[in-house]
Amino acid sequence: MQLTEGSLTILTDLNLTIKRGESVAIVGASGSGKSTLLGILAGLDTATEGEVFLAGHALHQLTEDQRAELRASHVGFVFQSFLLLPGLTALENITLPAELAGIRDARKRGLELLDQVGLAERRDFYPTQLSGGEQQRVAIARAFITQPQILFADEPSANLDEQTGQKVEDLLFNLNEQQGTTLVLVTHKTELAERCQQQYLMHHGQLESMAQEQRHVG
Amino acid sequence: MWASIALRLFWRELKRGELWVIAFALFLAVFSVVTLTGITESVRSALSQRSASFIAADLILRSSRPFQQEILDAASEQEVAQAQQMLFDSMLFSTEGMQLVTVKAVTASYPLRGDLVLRQSPRIAEGERGALQTGSLWVEPRLLSLLEVAIGDYVELGASNLMVAGIIETEPDAPLNVFGGNPRVIMYLDDVAATEVVQPGSRIDYRYLFAGAESQLASLQQQLDASLSVHENWQRLDRETAVGAAMERAESFLLLAGLLGIVLAASASAVAANRYRQRHAESVAVIKALGATTTVARKIYCSHLLLVTLFSSVLAMLVGLVLVVFLQQGITLWLNDFEPVFSSRPLFMGVMTSVICAGLFAARPVWQLAAVPAISVLRQLPGWRFDVWHLVTGAIAVWLLMWLFSRQFVLSLLLFAACAIFALLLMGMAALLVKIAKPMAAGQSSALKLALANLRRRLWQNSFQLLTFSMALFLTLLLYFLRAELLEQWQSQIPEGAPNQFLVNISPEELPAIKAFADQHNLELDTFYPMVRGRLTYINDEQLRQRASKEEDDQRVGVGRELNLTWTEQLPKNNRVTAGRWFDENGGQEVSVESELAERLGLQLQDELVFSIGGQVASATVTSIREVDWNSLQPNFFMILSPDVLSDFPASYLSAFYLEGEQGDILNQLNRDFPTIIVLNVDAIIQQVKEIIAQVTVALSGILLLVFAAAVLVLVAQVQATMEQREQELAILRTLGARYVFLRNAMLFEFAALGTLAGVLATVLAEAVLGLLQYRLFEMPFQLNWTLWWIGPGAGLIVVTLLGWWQLRQLLATESAVLMRRAIYS
Repeated sequence: MQLTEGSLTILTDLNLTIKRGESVAIVGASGSGKSTLLGILAGLDTATEGEVFLAGHALHQLTEDQRAELRASHVGFVFQSFLLLPGLTALENITLPAELAGIRDARKRGLELLDQVGLAERRDFYPTQLSGGEQQRVAIARAFITQPQILFADEPSANLDEQTGQKVEDLLFNLNEQQGTTLVLVTHKTELAERCQQQYLMHHGQLESMAQEQRHVG
Repeated sequence: MWASIALRLFWRELKRGELWVIAFALFLAVFSVVTLTGITESVRSALSQRSASFIAADLILRSSRPFQQEILDAASEQEVAQAQQMLFDSMLFSTEGMQLVTVKAVTASYPLRGDLVLRQSPRIAEGERGALQTGSLWVEPRLLSLLEVAIGDYVELGASNLMVAGIIETEPDAPLNVFGGNPRVIMYLDDVAATEVVQPGSRIDYRYLFAGAESQLASLQQQLDASLSVHENWQRLDRETAVGAAMERAESFLLLAGLLGIVLAASASAVAANRYRQRHAESVAVIKALGATTTVARKIYCSHLLLVTLFSSVLAMLVGLVLVVFLQQGITLWLNDFEPVFSSRPLFMGVMTSVICAGLFAARPVWQLAAVPAISVLRQLPGWRFDVWHLVTGAIAVWLLMWLFSRQFVLSLLLFAACAIFALLLMGMAALLVKIAKPMAAGQSSALKLALANLRRRLWQNSFQLLTFSMALFLTLLLYFLRAELLEQWQSQIPEGAPNQFLVNISPEELPAIKAFADQHNLELDTFYPMVRGRLTYINDEQLRQRASKEEDDQRVGVGRELNLTWTEQLPKNNRVTAGRWFDENGGQEVSVESELAERLGLQLQDELVFSIGGQVASATVTSIREVDWNSLQPNFFMILSPDVLSDFPASYLSAFYLEGEQGDILNQLNRDFPTIIVLNVDAIIQQVKEIIAQVTVALSGILLLVFAAAVLVLVAQVQATMEQREQELAILRTLGARYVFLRNAMLFEFAALGTLAGVLATVLAEAVLGLLQYRLFEMPFQLNWTLWWIGPGAGLIVVTLLGWWQLRQLLATESAVLMRRAIYS
């Protein structure tokens, strides 16, 4: 990353392959580069060096707009701070990616997902009228509406209390399982990471695979 | 797809009140421009209709040649209303006497503007009103006694015998001739030929009167200009008369006030547009992360802004137009003869304002908005940055609006340059002041320390905030004081009880009787000014032949080549010596000359002037040049001589007194008792000027209110722009254990400091600009406004602190847990 004060290397010597339908957790301390890696994998950002392939597309060769189109058709997101549009209702927030991707029956799908996340009653509520857990459930429904091939989740339960966090995590994994989506999860919670098939530890910009035994010891 | 997202976002955010700052700023900008244009147009139209009544037409073509058929045809072709007048001096004979009179012969359509009141009775306000008819004439009341005739008697004018039908009570275009003139007579134009008074070589003033729409008159003027000879010239209301000057000032002021209002409303839009960008940055990042390309994001937010602009502009134009129509109806109630003119200009200006505001103020922030990177969903958004291009496009927008509104390229450029220089100065001063706040904080209470630290930390942002606060306060102060100043100057120009009746041609023998008459009727007579008519014949031994005196060109002081000379030991009120010195007790043979006449004649101090008075000669040395306030409607003289020069010449006297409206019978009595004294009633003119002042006052108050609203909105928009940052800081301070009182005080100190600084800066600038404007634009003497020095900083302190408190009070009262949660989620 080039900064005005010079350059800063966040990720280095990093090789990672994620197979279709696999669930992968990336754990690490704050500032270790987890979110940067997520941004690059999802095509939100580009690396200064290296190659990234997403669903067969060479992300590092695509323009920003091409990456956006790829995200619209292949990617779903769940963010730590929910990031719902405050001006739209719960249902409208859910249908937004579908509309952007030009999906026709967005509303029907949106209503189904709302039902699945248990918020059918709240469809016309605005984000500020929903609790944190409810907002994240809306965000999860939003992430699945385009039936993405891959879902990126950035600390999905970090802003929620333990109980609510647990419910949201369950919901995420259930939907993921139902839809057969590839899941890339960034978290600092070991218990959450353990629910994924693969776990990696991010440390000083480098990624290490965590073997089962390592995790148990850790 | 993007259109429906934009529409939904717009509708939802509007309903939830999230767009009110930008929507209201745009509303205010368009509303102010529509109403300012409407008010200015209405008042200008009322004023010009009013001024038209002073010349009985909208436009006059004067000629010394008899009426030309092609000119009459051209007017018919343009479909403008027209009337003709002939003015000439002639002797009028009755069986008992004769009198030199000024005859005004008019066509039936006269007057085109204003009201001609003729009475079939010897006294004003009595008897039936009459109308012009063939074979008769109407006379000034004093002519009845001068000729010893009664209504219905016949008088001889040239070869004709004409019946005296009655008196002239009000004549719209009667000259204000303080020094008298011949009694006036009005007759029918078709009767002139039979009188045979018009002979080759006769001095006749032919006048073509026109009235109609401005465009028609302009094209008529253009059409005729090509064929006019040296004998013809156009006449409009004389700007040097009291009424003309009052109107010109009113128009200048309205224009200036309007321009300043626009600057403020435009600033509010600029600030709000920036705020709009900040508020929507996160949403754009989310939309882009969810798969929208930059183009789609741009389309969504451009349409979103377009919808906000459309909504605000249409609403503003509707409300603005309703207000303008309401105002016009108000003027109609007030001035019976006012014909509201509905032009499309306010609407056009409204549309242009919304296009300019959306295109130049908001286009760049929205363009940048769409460029917010999608990665911002994972990383903190870049903070507030000073954007030079936004400033440049905003500045261009302000100037464009000023130009469109004033339709004066140079004026708009000058005023804009002045505003830009002030803005730069203010910015520099603000940055400096905020920077030196650090040493000031040493040893202060901790709340004050925190406030000053806050100010310093957001240096650029605060400098910009201080700049807009100062600008808003400065413009409001400027307008408020100019308005007060203007009104005060006008009021003092025509104080209550100022003389409205002039007595001219009083002989020395009549002085005691006049004084007795005044005592008997409780009239307060002004000084008796002696008057001798004389002609200036030599300047420093150089004989004057063709050199004209000012009197010849200026109707205000009378006709003819002779000057009215007076003498006095005291410098009259409303006079100011600008060069030399007033008469010395030891001196003698001195003359004091009015400055404009001195300039025209090229007179210098110590010049020797020779006057010819009734065949005798008097000479005097110029020892002073005087500035005279011609707007004062008081007796004024071009030449004042020391008493030793003229006191031996036979003089008549001039005096003045104030008469209340309902004491009209005193005038009749005065006319009967002193038939040779000319009584001039200037009350009508004083009333006209007062009416103009009253109209303009209402318009100005409205504009001031608009400007204040715009100023407040700028402040609100500025505070709103820092809201998120404040919320986060507050969350941290609360969590660290800061108490409510401490935080409240810190916030109050911060706004009080900003407000006071802005107030001081605004005051300094307002004082400088007021001085300049008073001197240049309104031709008023410079005075330091001491009240400004406490009102400016005081208003800054109170308004900014209260606005800050009002906006942040809810934030302060929010529980720390809520604040913390919001800070984390955002």
